Formats: sequence, C-alpha cells, structure tokens
Amino acid sequence: MRDKIKNLIKLYWKRILIIGAFVILTIISLAIGALDVVNFKDLFAGNELSWKILWTSRVPRTLAIILSASGLSVAGLIMQSISRNKFMSPSTSGTTDAAALGVIIAFIALGDQPGIIQTIFAFLFALISTMAFMSVIKRLKIREIVYIPLIGIMYGGLIAAFTQILAYRFEALQMMQAIGLGGFAKIGSFATVYIIVVPLILSVIYSSRFSIIGMGEDFSKNLGLRYNRVVFVGLLLIALVSASSFVAVGQLPFIGLIIPNMTASFYGDNLKRSIIDVMFFGADFVLICDILSRVIIAPFEISVSLTISIIGGIIFVIYMIGGIRHGKQSQRAAQRK
Amino acid sequence: MIEIKNITQAYGRNKVLDDVSFAIHDSAVTALIGANGAGKSTLLGVITRLIPYISGEVYIDEHEIKSMKTKEVAKKVAILKQTHHLGVRVAVQDLVEFGRFPHCGGRLMDIDRQKVEESISFMDLDNIRDRYIDELSGGQRQRAFIAMILAQDTPYIFLDEPLNNLDIRYSVEMMKIVRSLVQDLHKTVIVVLHDINFAAAYADYVVTMQDGKIVSHGKVDEIITKNKLDGIFDYDFNIIEHQGRKVCLYFDSNEKDSLA
Repeated sequence: MRDKIKNLIKLYWKRILIIGAFVILTIISLAIGALDVVNFKDLFAGNELSWKILWTSRVPRTLAIILSASGLSVAGLIMQSISRNKFMSPSTSGTTDAAALGVIIAFIALGDQPGIIQTIFAFLFALISTMAFMSVIKRLKIREIVYIPLIGIMYGGLIAAFTQILAYRFEALQMMQAIGLGGFAKIGSFATVYIIVVPLILSVIYSSRFSIIGMGEDFSKNLGLRYNRVVFVGLLLIALVSASSFVAVGQLPFIGLIIPNMTASFYGDNLKRSIIDVMFFGADFVLICDILSRVIIAPFEISVSLTISIIGGIIFVIYMIGGIRHGKQSQRAAQRK
Repeated sequence: MIEIKNITQAYGRNKVLDDVSFAIHDSAVTALIGANGAGKSTLLGVITRLIPYISGEVYIDEHEIKSMKTKEVAKKVAILKQTHHLGVRVAVQDLVEFGRFPHCGGRLMDIDRQKVEESISFMDLDNIRDRYIDELSGGQRQRAFIAMILAQDTPYIFLDEPLNNLDIRYSVEMMKIVRSLVQDLHKTVIVVLHDINFAAAYADYVVTMQDGKIVSHGKVDEIITKNKLDGIFDYDFNIIEHQGRKVCLYFDSNEKDSLA
C-alpha cells in the first residue's frame, strides 16, 4: 500500500505540485480584496455580507482568471501543435487583435451589445483571421521558425492599427480602451468567460488527435486521421477561447506562448499527457500575476496584463534567444552534413 | 492482396504515374526501385491514400480504397515516410501508442496495451521506451517508428526509403527487420530502395519503375540483370555473383585507369 502511494507520487509529483499550488493560489486569490470582511471566521459564522461579497465579487473574478488563463494556455498548445511551431500563440498570430476588431465592428454596426453578441463577432473575426494567417505561413515556407511570431506580431499590429482607425472614425475609442486592457477588476461582465469551459472539455477529448497532428500531415493520414478536419476543430477551439476571454477580461499577452513551452520542457509534446497540467499551470501563472497586481499598490491595483507583460515578456525573450540559438545550431548541423 | 489497376496521377501536365497496374505478392518483401523522379514515392502515396489519383483503382483485399473509410484503410495499410521529426519531444512509448489510434481512437484498452508491449519488445525498445524520439540515434528512431507501425497491426506495410540517413550497420539491421516482419509476422512489405544491392539481397520480388511506368516486375533473380537494370537507371552496370547472390558494381571499371 505504502509502495503504491510512493509510486503514485513518483509518477505524478509534478502534477501534484501544480495542482497543489493551484489550490493554494485560488484560496489566496479569494482571500485578498479591498474589504476584509471576507475571512474564515466571518464565513464560518455565516456573516451574510461576507458570503455575498464572496459570491458576487471574489468567486466570479477568480473563476474568470482560472478559465481565461487555462483556455489561453490550451489554445496556445493546440496552435503550436497544429502549426508544428513552438512560437505560435493567439497573441503572436493576430488572433487576439482580430477578436478586438470583431468587437469594434459589432459596436459600430449594432451599437452597445451584450457580451454574447460581442463574443460571436470576436469569434468569427478571430477564426477567419487565424485561418488566413496559418495558410499564408504554411505557403511561405519560412525555414527559421523564430521569424513566424515576429511576422505574427506585425500582422496583429496591422489589425490593431486598423481597429484604432475604425474606433477613431466612429468615436468608439473610449469603449476600445475600456475593453482592450486586460484586467479582472470589472465586476459582472465576466459572463462570457464561462463559454471557455466548452473548448476546454473538447480539447481534452481531442488531445490524442492534436498530438498526432503535431507529427505531420502524412503521419496523421497514415493513422486514419482526417487531417483538415482536426485542424479546423483546433482553430475553432482557439478562436472560441480567444474571443470569449478577450470580451470578458481583455488582452492577456504571452500566456498562450510561454505556458505550453514551459510545460513542454518537462512533459514533452504529447498533448494527451500534458494538457491537464498546461491548464493548471496557466491558471497558476495568471493567479500569481493577479495577486501581485493587487498586492503591490494595495488597495489599488495594477492592470493584470501589465504584470503579465512584464513577467511573460522576459520569459518570452529568454525562449526567443534559446530558439535563435537552437536554430543556428541546427543550421550548422545541417551544413556539416 | 493489393491490386493496382490503371492508376494515373499527374501534377499539371506532367504525368507522375502513367497507367500503372500490378498486384503485390502477399507475405513477401517487394522492393520498388528506379531512378529519381520515377514515381516510386507517389505510387506508395497513392496506394496508402496519402495522395489522390486521377483515374484507376486500388483494391485492398477486394475493396476499392475510395469506398473504404479512412480508419478501415489505416487498419489495412501502414506507411512510413522519411520525415524529419526534428524537435518533436514524444517518448518512444507514446509514439508506439499512436499506432493504436485507428483501433481505439486514442483511448487505449487492454488489447491495445498488449499490442503496444508486443511491438516494443519485438523491436527491442524496452530499455529506451521513456526516451524522447529526438534524442535517439537514427537507427533507434527508425526502430521506434517501425514499432509504431507494428502496433498499428496492418497486414500491409509500406516503407518509403527506410535506409535514408542510416549508416551501413543500421541499414543491414533495418533490412533484417524487414525480413523478419515477413518471416515471423507474415506481413506483406513493400519498400522503396535506392541501393539496388539491398534489394538484390533482401527482397523476394522487385518492381522497377521509369518515368511513371512499371517497366518490369518479377522475382529478384529475373530482375537484377544487366539487361534490365541498364535501361532503367540509364547506366552501364557490372553485375557479378558473390556466394550465390547478385551484386551490382556501380563504378566504371575503366575510370581508375583513365585517371591514372
């Protein structure tokens, strides 16, 4: 019996660690806030105000963090598998920017709309834009994969600029800014974030297929996989996550890029093995960033996307340098042959 | 039994396969040889449904493949192509488990685990099952991929240039594995080879191709003759016999003298 437990710990210690951290961080995230009525003592005593704040403010906020972080991490993981490129993610391929364009166009065409309509527009734009970007990248046949996220960021910048022009022209700049900057401070507008549960479940069901897709087109076809269909399902999931998380919490840059890469360095590229850990690790990361954003200048808070950008940006640069080095090494190896 | 009838495939006006018909012998190694661009890989792709064809029919056990479901085809034929899976970090065990996908759709049952174990031990991969495939040597990696195809458990196995990037020792090892697939597991193996001598030594049947057409098809001894090979490769061969096996000498026997 004891051996059995030991074995389980040996096999799953990483997962236990990640999920353990997740539980602790969730509790911390629920515990901090402007009002200190929310504490264990008051909750146990059945203080009505404490429970009300917990349910109407703290829980939705923490859920929004967990769902959007897990969703974006998984979206990045799927995207990297489909494109067989470690540097792809919703924020480095214009997907998020296209979602923003969708929201602005919905605003211009239909006026102020509930989150669900915004999400549908964001979803359609994100899907079309991502499909276009992926097929162009596939045709360009760029040998150095590090350039692809750079092209993606430029492409995203173009879309963002166009969105700005539209917003300026139709006097929607204020709305633009309100949704654009990521934050979990807006109470009550998180409803669309719950949509992410659907792609999360589907991505677990499809995880074997996505792993096989990552081995290449001929490889997948040999195993009787309908390659194009699985790729399309993957893009649907990516667009759905990007759109609903953008509408609910705004931009959370780098998550889709760094989380799958960090997880892959200790789990390898078999999605079936790593997908659950990617979800929880992504949630861990954003929970930490959010807690930092709220603690540093308490009782005020910094926008979480700023914290993520700083920490995530540094990690991204480290991976880029690693990628460039790796690319040079493999080039040299190829030359030697 | 796999039968190919009047297959034609073209890229634009350029016919890559031109009215190709032949039947593959069961439980034997058939080597497909020919110069670069003769259409060998395309033919393999067509039979395994990786590449669509314009006209003709391919029958696998009397079923036309276009009428078969993708998963059913994947249970009948497996193809291993030479692709470089650079930087894909998948463990050997996971790779072999991928092979069960047509049978279980990603959720392994007991029978699937058993097949995976059998394949791993048949290919002697037990001690490296947890290693990532990008950390392995060329020969080990090739064995891991063959194990995956064994787990796929198809009667027909197609190998597209399995000796590429392998040194002599691993090449011989690979061809011995190919033989044991036929002898021990009664598979039907079709293999594209560049080195005619490997075909001469390890194949039962040889199919020669030129400009998208099949030129000759027969037992090894009938095909590996100066007469037949010269035309296909547009080269002046020198074929000798060594211990009852035919060996092709590629070099020009006068070359050394003329240089000196």
